[in-house]
Amino acid sequence: MLEKLRSCLRLYYQFLKFGSFTFGGGWSIVAQMKELYVEREKSLTNEELLDLTSIGRSLPGTMIGNIAMFYGHRVAGFWGGCACVFGMISVPMLVLMAITTFYTAFQNNLWVASAMRGVRTAVVPVIVSALTGMIKSAFKIPPCYVVAAAMFALYFFGRVSCVWLVIIGAVLGLVMCEYYERVKNFDVAA
Amino acid sequence: MLLLELFWSFVKIGFTSFGGLSMIPLISGEMISHGWMTASEVSDIVAIAEMTPGPLGLNCATFAGMRAAGVVGAFVANLGALAPTLTLCVAAAMFFEHFKNNKRLVQIMTGVRPACVGLVAGVIIDLALVNYSDAASRVHVPSLILGLLDLVLLLKFRVSIPKVLLFSAAAGIILFGVLGV
Repeated sequence: MLEKLRSCLRLYYQFLKFGSFTFGGGWSIVAQMKELYVEREKSLTNEELLDLTSIGRSLPGTMIGNIAMFYGHRVAGFWGGCACVFGMISVPMLVLMAITTFYTAFQNNLWVASAMRGVRTAVVPVIVSALTGMIKSAFKIPPCYVVAAAMFALYFFGRVSCVWLVIIGAVLGLVMCEYYERVKNFDVAA
Repeated sequence: MLLLELFWSFVKIGFTSFGGLSMIPLISGEMISHGWMTASEVSDIVAIAEMTPGPLGLNCATFAGMRAAGVVGAFVANLGALAPTLTLCVAAAMFFEHFKNNKRLVQIMTGVRPACVGLVAGVIIDLALVNYSDAASRVHVPSLILGLLDLVLLLKFRVSIPKVLLFSAAAGIILFGVLGV
């Protein structure tokens, strides 16, 4: 019992540190996990970390939250997983609460508003650069292009809720892959 | 019942988002339809979340939750966004070997990934229409030029995102604050 509490606290502290030094996406946490667990503690192999990452990515939700849960669960069960997840979000949450308070108070100040207007011009470019990264792994088989175009049209012109569009995408994924496997003898999952 | 609505919104966002910026169309849709944020404020959270530590989706949850219902709202929104991690992921952790190389999971992602590309493309246009126009919704040329410059810095010169955002903030202060364009 005490042993378990101690390992949970240790996980909380380790992920508190990981969470404090991530800017823009969860990959820097994966890099920090690799450095500590794979290279220094040698408690995890590279392949295992890769497995955690690839499943964490393909489950819904925050990728890095999922990876933290997997790792913590492996070391100390459910509470270990929670220790990692909540450790990771503690510092970012406090930082962002402070910023949100500041933002709400100074939103209409000329200098803050000018700075935010400048920043807003960079948001679309930031998303575009992320999109170029997503495109690489998104089109495994040709019908994927049709899925992307159709979902774009339904979102932009049809104003269908994104929640439904993602669910439709998941169903289409199953249908397309089964079709390719049965009719074309091509295993997409392989 | 605001808290319950907020929680449910982020549960929906959590269960249908798959990492990083693919969350933006979902957040934008939920926030704007509930009137918790304007399109400009959605742009602001993306920028703020990119500049501060922590995963983007959860940073958005904190920001949106705080704006809608204070500190309690931030906690509730985070719990909602973490719902898949605290449920589905725990189940997957218990049967980890089974989930590893799971064929159905690969098949689902084959459809979800291009769908996300389509949605993100849509939200890019949505946000561009707001961020590069003036109060009378005409094209605002200085903003557009600054945006193109940011794009070149990101794609061509591989400048990191926080640096590009800081550069744009400084440019904004000079252009819109000092010069008043």
